Amino acid sequence: MSILEGLRFYASDTVIHRLDPRVKFLISMLMLIIVVMYVEVWMLTILIALQAIMAYAAKVVRRWLKTIRGSLPLAVLVFGLNAIFFISSGTYATLQEALYQSTALAYRLVLFLSSFSIFFLTTTPEEIGLTLTSWRVPYPYTFAFISAIRFTPIIAQELRDIMDAQRARGVELDKGGPLQRAKKLVPILVPLLANALRRAYELAEAMEVKCFGATKKRTSLRELKMRYKDYVVLSVSLALFSLAAYYRLFPF
Amino acid sequence: MIRFDNVTYVYPTGVKALNGVSVEIGRGELVALMGENGAGKTTFIKHLNGLLKPTNGKVYVDGKDTRTLSVAQLSRVVGIVFQNADDMFFLPTIEEEVAFSLRNLGFSEEVVQKRVDWALKFMELEEYRKRSPFLLSGGEKKRLALAIILAWNPQVIAMDEPTVGQDSAQKEKLKEMIKQLNLQGRTVIISTHDVEFVAELRSRVILMSKGRIVADGRAETILTDGELLSSCSILMPQVAATMSRLADLGFNAKVISVDEAVRNIVEVLRRFEHTRGA
Amino acid sequence: MEIVKIEGLTFTYSGSDTPAISDINLSIEEGEFVLLLGPSGCGKSTLCRCLNGLIPHFYAGKMEGRVIVAGMDVSKTPTYVLSQHVGMVFQNPENQLFSLTVENDVAFALENLGIPRDEIRRRVDFALKAVGIEDLRKRSPFELSGGQQQKVAIASVLALMPKLMVLDEPTSSLDPASAKSIIETILKIRKELGTSIIVAEHRVELLADKVDRVIVMQKGRIIKDGRPREIFVSEEMVPYGIPVPKVVSMAKGVNKYFQVFNEIPLSSEEFEQDIRRFVHDKVR
Repeated sequence: MSILEGLRFYASDTVIHRLDPRVKFLISMLMLIIVVMYVEVWMLTILIALQAIMAYAAKVVRRWLKTIRGSLPLAVLVFGLNAIFFISSGTYATLQEALYQSTALAYRLVLFLSSFSIFFLTTTPEEIGLTLTSWRVPYPYTFAFISAIRFTPIIAQELRDIMDAQRARGVELDKGGPLQRAKKLVPILVPLLANALRRAYELAEAMEVKCFGATKKRTSLRELKMRYKDYVVLSVSLALFSLAAYYRLFPF
Repeated sequence: MIRFDNVTYVYPTGVKALNGVSVEIGRGELVALMGENGAGKTTFIKHLNGLLKPTNGKVYVDGKDTRTLSVAQLSRVVGIVFQNADDMFFLPTIEEEVAFSLRNLGFSEEVVQKRVDWALKFMELEEYRKRSPFLLSGGEKKRLALAIILAWNPQVIAMDEPTVGQDSAQKEKLKEMIKQLNLQGRTVIISTHDVEFVAELRSRVILMSKGRIVADGRAETILTDGELLSSCSILMPQVAATMSRLADLGFNAKVISVDEAVRNIVEVLRRFEHTRGA
Repeated sequence: MEIVKIEGLTFTYSGSDTPAISDINLSIEEGEFVLLLGPSGCGKSTLCRCLNGLIPHFYAGKMEGRVIVAGMDVSKTPTYVLSQHVGMVFQNPENQLFSLTVENDVAFALENLGIPRDEIRRRVDFALKAVGIEDLRKRSPFELSGGQQQKVAIASVLALMPKLMVLDEPTSSLDPASAKSIIETILKIRKELGTSIIVAEHRVELLADKVDRVIVMQKGRIIKDGRPREIFVSEEMVPYGIPVPKVVSMAKGVNKYFQVFNEIPLSSEEFEQDIRRFVHDKVR
């Protein structure tokens, strides 16, 4: 359920939402590269601060924190494994140093995972589709991507309805050994598949009526267009990135 | 038979679908649960066999708290026919579909055969018994879904939106079957927004809106209350709507059947004729 | 001018032995508003699908006879060309919407045709306005009710500016209030744009007094074709299980005692008027 909730896009209209998705994608990409280049805590902190500011500007702080929280278990694991390795192998002179380095690595993982969160939190699937189109991905793939997002929640609801209908006729899904349970999937999966086929047919019919594939030169109601502010944000980001890269290669 | 005691249900998404619902439905009653989409009808129905358990409050079926019983146990007492019959079918023939449920509920093979025969006959599906459920028409599918549930003879039959997508001939058949099941002593609960169907059933009506019960009474009382219905986004049945237009002339606006309406109109017109004659 | 001309049409789906529709002869004038009635499985949907080329282009089968729509022979014209003249709306709104915003769905067919962006924008505005859902423009189909979704489906077809709209049971999965609103939308389109309309529907109460013509189908054939009043009033339709508005039965019942109705009414409004006139005459 929560994963499906994540697929739902919450429409809003902020400075960050209005940025060209390609610029946001690039910013995320640059952050990712910096995370690969740096293990230093101060740099990682600058990055997380930048993300926090963007999340605040986009009014998605709460959901951004959620994605951060989601990466914590993995971070704890990385911390534990590194700490054990560093301490047992004696890589660092003091215990303090070993723990600090383990923390830095865990911290880095969090940043690694969160670098694209702003992009996904503020970009509509539709815009992602437009981005794909602007990168000359053939339209049928973009269409497949969009309709997957469109129909996943509907099919999830259908799955719940089918389970209810079968439980109402005495199918006890959570009883019995693994083999019996596997057998009980048949009354769930067959109707799900049958419904999906029926739906596919209806969709194909509607696509036919809506002239799908009529011309190779498909046009689009919306088109991504880099505006003045997009270029400004883009150049500032690139400048900051160059600075970071330069500092890595030639520390002052 | 069924008792809701101040039931509230909140979905995991945070949507409050039932909000302090208290109601009793007696053995052998015929009840239409009405209300617009999202009023809480389906959520109500799912509480009857324990598919959903109340977040707050209690639901009793045959005197027992539904929290203490499994869905399979409750289903023996309350059979639910959901709106989309296609959600059920997965076997090659319709007789196997009916037998499947009976076996799930632990009936002996001998009983299974008898019940399958009986249920298919009652639902007028005997001639198709070897046919695939996927090849049935919409109306036949609906009847098969009902046959599957009816086969184990539950005391209560609940149907969620049985008339959606059905044509007038199929609705007529469905209405007769519902009446007959009720006459045989079963408690029948249908959720629907089909006012004409309920007007013809003349049952008790429980009207829901936004998770609450806003009215509970006879069809002829509730379906003629224009203000109440429009507050729940339900249209009046055409007979009542027509008669209420003429209420100022002395016609009875509280009728829902064609015959009653005709009788009343003729009576009032005679009165007019009489006054002129005098 | 005829918008639809069908001659000797018989169609059998591949894999079936019996024709879904047989020997259909029909002509519909431009601007006509036609109600298609008949029990499920009588061939209404098949007939609708013959009008925009889904039959024979999408569904395989054996087709005899000729279907001419807006001057084009359907079997010789690709569906995407026909779709610009014949707009088709299906039963289930959920499976007619592909996008994540309303406006993208309305633009969908136009984009597929490669129409320039300015023109798309103009037509999207026009279609949203014609259906009365401008306020839903930026919404996602997830957030819409079934009735609203069906309006989007209608708008998405209307954006193609078809001369004829075919609606196959557009309200059958909707609640009565939404159904009424969809019917009102159809009436609005007809009134404002003069589009020819063929609608297959069971809800006769909402349409009986609005349509020009009723065609009744049974077992793949047209068994009756005429003005709504003659169809709904005629006793010979009773055994076919054709739904009849309740006011018709009421008026017939009253007429046995008092000759109130010279013409049987098809709506509550007409019924009311006749009764009032009768009472007025009586009292005076």
